[in-house]
Amino acid sequence: MKKIIVIILTSILLNNFAIANEVNVFSSRHYESDIELYKKFTNQTGIKVNVISGKDEALQKRIIEEGTNSKADLYITSDAGNIAIFDSKGMFQNSMSPTIEKLVPSNFRNKNWVGITKRARILFYSPERVVNDDLKNLNYEDLANPKWKGRIVIRQSNNIYNQSLIASLIFNNGKETTGEWAKSIVKNMARDPKGNDRAQILAVAAGEADIAIANTYYYALMLSGNKGLEQQIAAKKVLPFFPNQNNRGTHMNISGGGILKYAPNKDSAIKLIEFLLTKEAQQHLVNNTYEYPMIEGVEPHELLKKMGTKFKQDLTTDVASYGQYQSDALEIMLNAKWK
Amino acid sequence: MGKKFNFWYISSLLISIMVAIPIVTVLLSFFEPTGDYYTILKNTFLTDYIYNSIFLLLGVLFLTFVIGVGCAYVVSFYTFPGVNFFKWSLILSFAVPAYIYAYSLNAFFENYGTAFTILNNLFGEGNYNAHIPKFDGILGAIIAISFSLFAYVYVLTRASFHYQSQNLIELGKNLGFSKKKSFFKIILPSARPAIVAGLSLVAMETLSDFGSVSFFGISTLTTGIYNAWISFDDLTLANRLSSYLLIFILGLFILENVSRRKAQFHTSSKGGFKSKSLIKLNGYKSFFAFTFCLIIFIISFLFPVSQMLYWTIIFPQHLANLNVGKLFFNTMLLVSLSSCLLIALAFISNYGNRVSKSKFLKMLNIFSISGYAIPGIILAVAFITFISWFDNQIINHFEIQSIKPFFIGSILGLVLVYFIRFYSLANNGIKSGYEKINYSIDESAYLLGYSKFKTFKNVHIPYLKNSILLISILLTIEIIKELPITLILRPFNFETFATKAYLFASQDLLEAAAAPSLLLIVIASFFILITSRHTLKE
Repeated sequence: MKKIIVIILTSILLNNFAIANEVNVFSSRHYESDIELYKKFTNQTGIKVNVISGKDEALQKRIIEEGTNSKADLYITSDAGNIAIFDSKGMFQNSMSPTIEKLVPSNFRNKNWVGITKRARILFYSPERVVNDDLKNLNYEDLANPKWKGRIVIRQSNNIYNQSLIASLIFNNGKETTGEWAKSIVKNMARDPKGNDRAQILAVAAGEADIAIANTYYYALMLSGNKGLEQQIAAKKVLPFFPNQNNRGTHMNISGGGILKYAPNKDSAIKLIEFLLTKEAQQHLVNNTYEYPMIEGVEPHELLKKMGTKFKQDLTTDVASYGQYQSDALEIMLNAKWK
Repeated sequence: MGKKFNFWYISSLLISIMVAIPIVTVLLSFFEPTGDYYTILKNTFLTDYIYNSIFLLLGVLFLTFVIGVGCAYVVSFYTFPGVNFFKWSLILSFAVPAYIYAYSLNAFFENYGTAFTILNNLFGEGNYNAHIPKFDGILGAIIAISFSLFAYVYVLTRASFHYQSQNLIELGKNLGFSKKKSFFKIILPSARPAIVAGLSLVAMETLSDFGSVSFFGISTLTTGIYNAWISFDDLTLANRLSSYLLIFILGLFILENVSRRKAQFHTSSKGGFKSKSLIKLNGYKSFFAFTFCLIIFIISFLFPVSQMLYWTIIFPQHLANLNVGKLFFNTMLLVSLSSCLLIALAFISNYGNRVSKSKFLKMLNIFSISGYAIPGIILAVAFITFISWFDNQIINHFEIQSIKPFFIGSILGLVLVYFIRFYSLANNGIKSGYEKINYSIDESAYLLGYSKFKTFKNVHIPYLKNSILLISILLTIEIIKELPITLILRPFNFETFATKAYLFASQDLLEAAAAPSLLLIVIASFFILITSRHTLKE
């Protein structure tokens, strides 16, 4: 009896040993629908997908410290800034297969990592308080104009989506100009930054501000009714606006991943990435997370289509620059006293 | 002298050293040079971090003092309708982790939140958003932490009142004091050690809170350490910030210990007290006492529970999708393994201290605050770093298999870090139980020819049965609620109620986080009820 207990206990304690034909995913995307998708992959290929989800910083730290002993094959996260910084530490290996290169536009990948879905960081305005003339040819850059004083809401500077947006502005306009821009934005804020992207949209709906800067899927989630009737009603009080349509296009970001340097199951991991870029998987992703598809030939969710699909996406800014200018972006925001 | 280094001494020493490793690492780093990030941080945010930490601490201490002492006073000295219900129901707030309280607070008061919905349904459509107070930022964190921690103050203060209640009020009467004067001049000072002990526990938990401050986006020393270390890879700075935190906590720990010693002095002389007859409250006074307790009970427990229940009911699909059996099994697996280890080792260490009577061991014991001094999230990363350093430096030289897979991402690793985190709790519990056993009992046992081991097994363990039960339930509740360590160190595909709730919440699906949160609260409440029945009997 004692022996049996010892065996059971040891197997529980050490239950993380590798089995053949599996792929280990470290993910900071916490969608249940991602897990469903991995199950589909397992059904098709027989490759088991093991997942640990958590905060980016902690997952990265764990991968780095585990070093050559790490069992992590694939690291999936939201935001190109996250991926690019991790890449700059040399943690990924070349994971591009010809299939992947053919499917994904070159500004959304490099040789070590690839975008899987896209999201846009856009403006949400109150149609009652913002007139059409104000919106004409509106760019992110124009939000520095004093006429927006006390009318803008956006979340805190420690938020990675903000850091990436500002990094893209540094890439396009230079550090000094963007520094001035950030100072003006802080002057134009309706309140000290607080809450997540949805809280910004709600602030505009509630009349606390006139323009919110937020990611597209938050708005779609509210419209979907999955967050209750009131949130749906609130979302209908604001309208989306895609800036920079007459120049480089709206700021795009990605969710994506790469194969880790010491991945024990590299081939399975490549198969999983390729699977995530199939039409079937992309359709599943965009239907559940309200993101934009990475590949051609897949339609985004109805709610996103209603927001406008014909907008011009920024396809010239390499999303890798979000990592490159991340520390500059943070420095600029801190200097502007952006909380 | 050779006799001194027996089994008990050595094991006690080893346990103390293991628990002390993180704290010593932190202290040593104080003398190392720091990186660039420190300069940036010092110029911009360091004062903010310290200011926020202090402000948060003072706010929480004030609230928990008023609520904890207020409730304890009312239920200990008076009778009014519902008093027996409140005696135990006020402890239920222990079941609600601060981060879940934070979710509820935000969801209820945000624009178009639950409060808005209620007003809309009651009074018809209107723009109520502007009139609903917003409890977010530092105010939100103070409220969330206070209502989930005030029970520390409440329980300890009540226990202190329990032993002295009637005499004090009568003493006041005899001196011709008014009730108010009796309260401030006699009752409050007499319970001071217990109150201070409760407040210092609250303070330690507050300073190491990560979940609710990061949810509300406040930068404290703890988030500062996290950023310095994990985002900026500046280990030295992280450690230096930790040592600031440590100085705070060391002070609190000493305060708590001194108070406890005084508290013992008070309670140990309980003989000769009259049995208590409580003062019966009538009319508006009774109504006032009842309302005060009811409001605290509603805010601390019913409010977060009903918010979670409300969501679970209107979005039942989230509960249906939850693999409750598996989550329960995982949670209980961690609870049982860790509690057994903690209690066993705390026992050995305390017994070792007792039989060896070594001053050195007693001093080492102070490092058991390690777990409290270093926030869970930092401790988890420290553990990973330590294992990886140990593996690279030592194990690799012998060219044997790496030990990392055994410790990182395994149940074993999780249990070990829980051990360091909660050792203080287990150790102090056993210690205070042991202090009540007179040394002469040990000596009688030896005279009867008992070996040290036999004394331990046949005398001490039965004697401390109640302490063991109480501590194991406290540990159970803490481990059920534990989040950051579990999140970082767990194996693949391993979820508990806490991690599940966190993962949903972090993708802005608080509705889906409601079901696991609710289950977590229900299970923790169940264990609290077992304990409270036990403590009420005492």
